[in-house]
Amino acid sequence: MRVAVLGAGAVGSRAVRQLASTPGVDGIAVADVDRLRAAAVEAAIDDDRVRAVEVDRWADGADVGILCIPGGAHAPLAATLLAQGTHVVSASDELVDVDGLLALDDAAVRSGRSVVIGAGFSPGLTCLLAAHGAATLDVVEEIHVAKLGTAGPACARAHHRALTGESLDWRDGEWRHRRSGSGRELCWFPDPVGAQDCYRASAPDARLLVPAFAGVRRVTARVQATRRDRLTSRLPMLRRPHPEGSVGAVRVELRGRRGSLHEVVVLGAMDRPGVASGAVAAMAAVWAGEGRLRRPGAGGLAALADPLPMLLELGRRGVRAAVFEGRQPA
Amino acid sequence: MRFLRRALVALGLTGMIAGVLRLRGTSGIPPQSGGWRELSGPDLR
Repeated sequence: MRVAVLGAGAVGSRAVRQLASTPGVDGIAVADVDRLRAAAVEAAIDDDRVRAVEVDRWADGADVGILCIPGGAHAPLAATLLAQGTHVVSASDELVDVDGLLALDDAAVRSGRSVVIGAGFSPGLTCLLAAHGAATLDVVEEIHVAKLGTAGPACARAHHRALTGESLDWRDGEWRHRRSGSGRELCWFPDPVGAQDCYRASAPDARLLVPAFAGVRRVTARVQATRRDRLTSRLPMLRRPHPEGSVGAVRVELRGRRGSLHEVVVLGAMDRPGVASGAVAAMAAVWAGEGRLRRPGAGGLAALADPLPMLLELGRRGVRAAVFEGRQPA
Repeated sequence: MRFLRRALVALGLTGMIAGVLRLRGTSGIPPQSGGWRELSGPDLR
């Protein structure tokens, strides 16, 4: 299997590293508009299978193409890849990309290829956690996702933009548009992150989760933000984002029924978002290339992948999931 | 006397309804504390 990675930033470079440690991957091409960055990834990994290539020929001969570039142009690139018979994995967490990629479903089904959308920390790992938690419930009624942290500078800018505009919630069979930055909720992330204030944001998680859970009544997505983040969200970023964010975390709360009882399942994970996103994108590419996805077509990991084997593989690679367990009072 | 009988019937009905709701409700008192545990094993439970 030959895999091509477009983008050698915090996520792309980690995806290349994960692919290089995967048996069955014969060649890994990495390209970036900054040629030196792609060359640095090739040199750092020091594996004959990894080679830096030019951007205009980045996916030549590839079985799977991973898009790790900043959001906005994923859909047209994915359409080009599909036309040449290549599976697509997109790590974008921007709504415009997710909507454009979902529209490629018919084309992907016709060509017998997969377009894995939102293969990152959130969406991505959160989709797998939602599908895994849902397996313990008879009926899933609500899914609430929260995310903390960013990967590289492009991800930090997307987080900044996400606090303006409109968020997208699914409620009782229809989409609800709410103001981003509203709806403060105290969310408890895995230790040592703990409790953080989270707000509605222009996040695409609901778009990917709703088709995967028939009958779900409510799906929401929130991102962690501070008062300063909310105050300055409508301004340009006041300082350059860090090369890479520090520790991040995700949390997925499912509410539903098991038998006649109402149950709440809370799953989460804590990692550096760039590291976890790279691992999820790489595993999604391997799954697509090996034909291990449920069906061809476009969708999120909750719809396309069996969550247990992928979560087990991610766990072996250090991206470990956790469950919140409440204790009954004595 | 009639008033007292009606009050007792109302109290009895209230108790019965509360009992049914208690039995059919969720699993008792909700958790008051807890913590995160890493998923493990072949089923990640």
